[in-house]
This record gives sequence, C-alpha cells and structure tokens, in this order.
Amino acid sequence: MTNIETSPFVDRLLAWSLRHSIRPLTGNVIATVAIIMVGLIRALFVASIVPWLLFIPAVLLIALVLGRATGIYASILAAIVAGLSIGHASEPLWLTLPQWTGSIVFVAVASGIAILAAELRAAFARATRLANEKEAASLQLAEREAFLSSVLASSTDCIKVLDLDGRITFMSEGGQKVMEVSDFNEIAGCLWPDFWQDKGNVDARAAIAAAKAGESHSFTGRAETIAGTPKWWHVAVSPVLGRDGMPERILSVSRDITASREHEEERGQLVRIVENSADFIGIARLDGSVFFLNDAACQLVGLDPGAINSVMITDFFPPAEAEAVLMEVLPTVTRDGSWSGERMFRHFQTGELIPVFYTVFPVTDYDGTLIGYGTVTRDFRERRRAEEQQVLLNHELSHRLKNVLSVVQSVAAQTLRQADNLHDAGEALSARLVALGEATNVLTAQSWASADLAELTARALAPHGGLGDRIHAEGPPVTLKPEVTLALALALHELATNAAKYGALSNATGQVWLSWSIDEGTEPGGSRFLLNWRETGGPQVVPPTRRGFGSMMIERSLRSYFKATAQIEYLESGLVFCLDAPLGEAAMVSK
Amino acid sequence: MGQSKPINSRSILVVEDEALIRFNLINYFENAGFTVYDAENADGAISILDANSSIRVVLTDIQMPGSMDGLRLAHHIRNRFPPTILFITSGVISLSERDMPADSFFLPKPFNPRSVVRTIDGLRG
Repeated sequence: MTNIETSPFVDRLLAWSLRHSIRPLTGNVIATVAIIMVGLIRALFVASIVPWLLFIPAVLLIALVLGRATGIYASILAAIVAGLSIGHASEPLWLTLPQWTGSIVFVAVASGIAILAAELRAAFARATRLANEKEAASLQLAEREAFLSSVLASSTDCIKVLDLDGRITFMSEGGQKVMEVSDFNEIAGCLWPDFWQDKGNVDARAAIAAAKAGESHSFTGRAETIAGTPKWWHVAVSPVLGRDGMPERILSVSRDITASREHEEERGQLVRIVENSADFIGIARLDGSVFFLNDAACQLVGLDPGAINSVMITDFFPPAEAEAVLMEVLPTVTRDGSWSGERMFRHFQTGELIPVFYTVFPVTDYDGTLIGYGTVTRDFRERRRAEEQQVLLNHELSHRLKNVLSVVQSVAAQTLRQADNLHDAGEALSARLVALGEATNVLTAQSWASADLAELTARALAPHGGLGDRIHAEGPPVTLKPEVTLALALALHELATNAAKYGALSNATGQVWLSWSIDEGTEPGGSRFLLNWRETGGPQVVPPTRRGFGSMMIERSLRSYFKATAQIEYLESGLVFCLDAPLGEAAMVSK
Repeated sequence: MGQSKPINSRSILVVEDEALIRFNLINYFENAGFTVYDAENADGAISILDANSSIRVVLTDIQMPGSMDGLRLAHHIRNRFPPTILFITSGVISLSERDMPADSFFLPKPFNPRSVVRTIDGLRG
C-alpha cells in the first residue's frame, strides 16, 4: 500500500484528540475562544475584503480536532463574529445585502468543510484503529508462529509434510535430529516410502494411498535413519485438507519406539522362556492363592490350567509338607529373600508324591513391597530314580564283589588244600583265577545279567592254546544265566588243563571237540541243554586214582549249578564229559 | 550273646546255594573234625534237620533261591530246634542282633570258617 505523506503535526494533533475524547462543552468553549481570537486577529490586522476567509482554516482545524457538531457550531460562530466585525450601525440590518449573502454562503461552505473535516477525522480514526488492530493481530500471529515452531522443534517425533505423491517437503527440526539428518536438502523431495524396506515399504505406500483418499492410517515398522541406525517406528499418516476439503498434503508423524520395542521384545522373550520352560514356574499372592503357572507346572502336578486361580500354595503338598512350607519356607523367603531345597509335591489327580527341588523367591512391586511368592521348581523324580539306581548298583556291585571274593576264597582254599606242593598250588591257583577273571569279563559285558556261551568258551580256553586248531568249539547261540557262568568257565578250564597234562592236548596230534546243543524235547518246559567235551588222538587214557579239585569241580559243582547230570568218562579213545541240564537252569534265552 | 549249654555233637549243617563255596566249607569242616551235612536251600536243610537230630550247628547263607531265605530258615530252626547254634552269612545285607534269632552269629561274606570253629569251641567251654 502506498503511504500518503501527512503532516506529522496534524497527525499527532488528530491522534491526540482521538486519544483524549473531549467533552462537547469543552469542545464548544475551545471553538468559541478560537473563533473569537481569529475574529480579533482579523479585525486588528486584516482589513480584508473577504472577511470570512481567515475563519476557514480555523473551522477546518476545529472540525478536524473536535468533530462535526463543533465544526458546524464554529462555522456559524465564525459567520457571526465576521458579521459583527464588518457590520455597520448605519445599515438597517447591520450588514449589507451582499454581506448577508456572503455570510450565508460562508456558513454553508464552512459547514460543508466542517462536515468533510469531521469525515476525515472519522476516517483517520478508523484507519488508526485498523492499523492498531492489524498490529495486534500480526503480533499475535508472530507469537503463535514462534510457539508452533518451538513445539515442532522440541518434539522428538519426526514430523514430516509430504506432497500427495509422498515426497518430503518438510521435516521438523526434532525430526531431523531423530532421523539423523544433517542437511534437510539431501532428503527434500525424496519419496518417503523409499526410506522403508520390505513390509515397512508396503505399509508406507498403503498409508500414503489412504491419506490421499482422505483417511488416516498408522503402522509400526523398522527403518534405518539416514545415518544407518536401525530403529523401530510407530507412524501415523493423515491427510492435510485444503480449503476445498480435499487432501492437499500429507502429514506423517513417526515416533522412535526402538527402546520400548526392545523392552517389549525382551519381555516377550522372558515370557516365552517362562512359558516354555520345562521347569515348574509359578507365582502366588501373599495369601497363598496361585495366579500363574506355566504349562510344565500344570503338567507336573496334573492341574487343569483352568483351575489355576482356585488353588493355594499348600494344595501342591501333602499335609506334612504343606505345614513345613507355611511354617518354614515362606517365612524364610520373607526374611532372607529365598528358600530352596528338596520337597515333595502331590499330584492333583493321582495323589502321587513327586520329589522336587523347590526354590521360592519373593515377588515385589515397584517400591519393593512384598506382594507374593514365585517359584522355579525342578522335577526331581528322574534324579531320585537315578540316585536310587546308583545306590542299588553300588549295593549290587558290593554284593557281587563279595560273592566273587567268596568264590575265590573257596577255590584258593581247596587248591591249596589239595595241592602236592606250594609251587603246584600257586600255578594252579593262578590259572584258575585267570579263568574266573575271563568269566567275569564276559559277565561284566552284559552287566552281570547273562553271558554268551561262545564268548565264555573262547575266553576260558584261549590260555590253553590251539583254539580252532586243536580245540574245536561249536554250538548254537546260547545265553547263559549268570549264576552258572563262573562254574562253567572254571570247569572248562579244568577240562583243558587236564587235557594238557594227561589227555588229548598232551601230545602233538590229539584233538578236543567241544560242542553244545539244545534238545527241544517233547514235553513243555522239557528242553535240555547238552554240552559235550570229547578228546581224541591223545595218549592212552588211565583213569586217575585220586579225584582232585579238578574233577570234583567239574562234576559235582556243575551238577549243583545246572541241576544237571554231569559225568566224566575215561574211555580208551579219550576222555568224554557230558552235561545234560534243564535248559531253564542253564540259559536265559535260547535261539 | 552266646549260650553256655555244652554242645555234645560235633556236627554241622552247611546251607549254601553257591556250590563252589559250599564244597569248600564242607571240605573245611570235615578237615576240622565235624560231621558235615549240606543243603542247597532251606527246604533241603529242613529235611536234613528232621532226619538228623544230632545236628547242633547250622551255618546258612541268607540269599538262596526257594520258598524260604536263610533268615527265615534261621528263625524256623530256632523255634523248631531251640538249642541249635546259628551262623548266618550274607554278602548283601548286614544284620544286627535285633534282626536275628537269639543265640545267632552274623558273618559277613567272605568269612573265615576258622572263626566259626573257634566260636563253637568257645561255647563248648
């Protein structure tokens, strides 16, 4: 707007008169004084031909400063003053006719000027008011703008304005900080969805499309900042409507939720760990009522997951244990912060006692007040079983060891008792202990539950040499009972020893034929185990005159162990030993 | 623990299912001058005792197959043949005086048969 130059004096005078509203009476007094003064000046100094002229500026000024009514009043007063000063008593009407005409014209003109000046005054007043209002408004606007931009700048959200194609046209200062933008010009005009990968990209495009259609849309996604820091964002995209109510631009507000998301993920992981734990995990209130149990817990004690909220801590224990938990465990947790030890749970359905390793810890709220008890409890059944098994095994081992020692004691005692001299006794005892050792090896391989006959035979006869060459062993697979194994091993050892001393193995050509078989028999349970030791090609057999430990061992002990007939025959062609036992006494399984 | 009644008959019954051990005990007690009877199980032992009233000493293993184990056999003998001296052996369990019939001696396996003879001789006093 072009500024029209105004007189600063008139401006100030006008402004002053507008600021100080002058009462009409005061205005009229001022006007009267001014007009009279102008009249005096005119009368004294201006011998004018046109007496009213000098009043015009005064009327103008008065109307301008004091308003229309006072202006008109001044005009009339000026005409009177002028008339008084130019009139003459000689005239019948004081003034001449032209003077009267001039006076009337003057009043009309001056009133017009006064009205015009008053209008000017009003216009000035309006203009001043408008200017003031405008100034106030623009001040307000500036304040508002400063406020808004400080809000935008201080927001940690990334506030962006996009065009309808999704190009970035604005990004808040705080937004540039969280997006790690060093120079906004680098990203101005870039397509916003391009900052998102994979699902985020799809979501961003969908949000733009929705905003374009006038709808708001929000999503959560992962995107890297400009500097490449991966972050999680919650994004709200909404249309900015134009005057016509149609989407004109798009507002996108992204909030960095990385921290809470990580916290959530951590929490989620913890929850998954708790839920999937194979351990019993539970939480109860201070009054003992349970409010959380994981699946493993429900399973361990046979509790329907729907019934979790209706059970108490003490329901998990048999009465005596429950008493101990109330009197000892929970007070200890409250006092010391934890309790752990072995306890017995009771199965809700079967009542079965379940040995557990029970650990209880306090559950507190944010300010540390105890609000309940938590437990991580381990099923100790397997461990107890293993421990019991261990005890059993130790016991069993001790038993077997003592039994073997007793057998060794017996073999040693008899060997010594029957030997001709100490040297022979030592030799014989050594060899017998080796045979016993081999037999225990075979038994140990099967956890002392059984022994493979072929294996036992091979081991018992191996020390005598010629196995497969001069000693021929054959028979179907037979699994011997452990009770007979030591005795049979010793018997085979004695037979081989005897053969080496006096029989088929004492010369260069003799042969030993060891065979065994199973005779199914005709009656049920009538199967027989048959073992046959036959020597051929040895020196002529001379039946012994004294029956030593060897033959006693062979015949009598096998009869006892196998409930068998056991017989040594000293045939001329060679020694023959036959064992005929009920299969059930000899073998575990026969194939 | 012991009883002071003299033992007139030097005869012993050995009840042991493990033949290798039984034979050694038979052999040992025979050499020590005993008349030795032997059985593989409790039933055999009872038959022998019924038939031989002179037997005053019984040595029995606890773990044996059959209807009765050695401990029950010992109680049976104490009731039925009160003066009999009982030696009870086991490689599995250890017995206290409470678990055994009166006038019984427990021998953990393996044991020295000489201690049996010494105990008998002591009682004979």
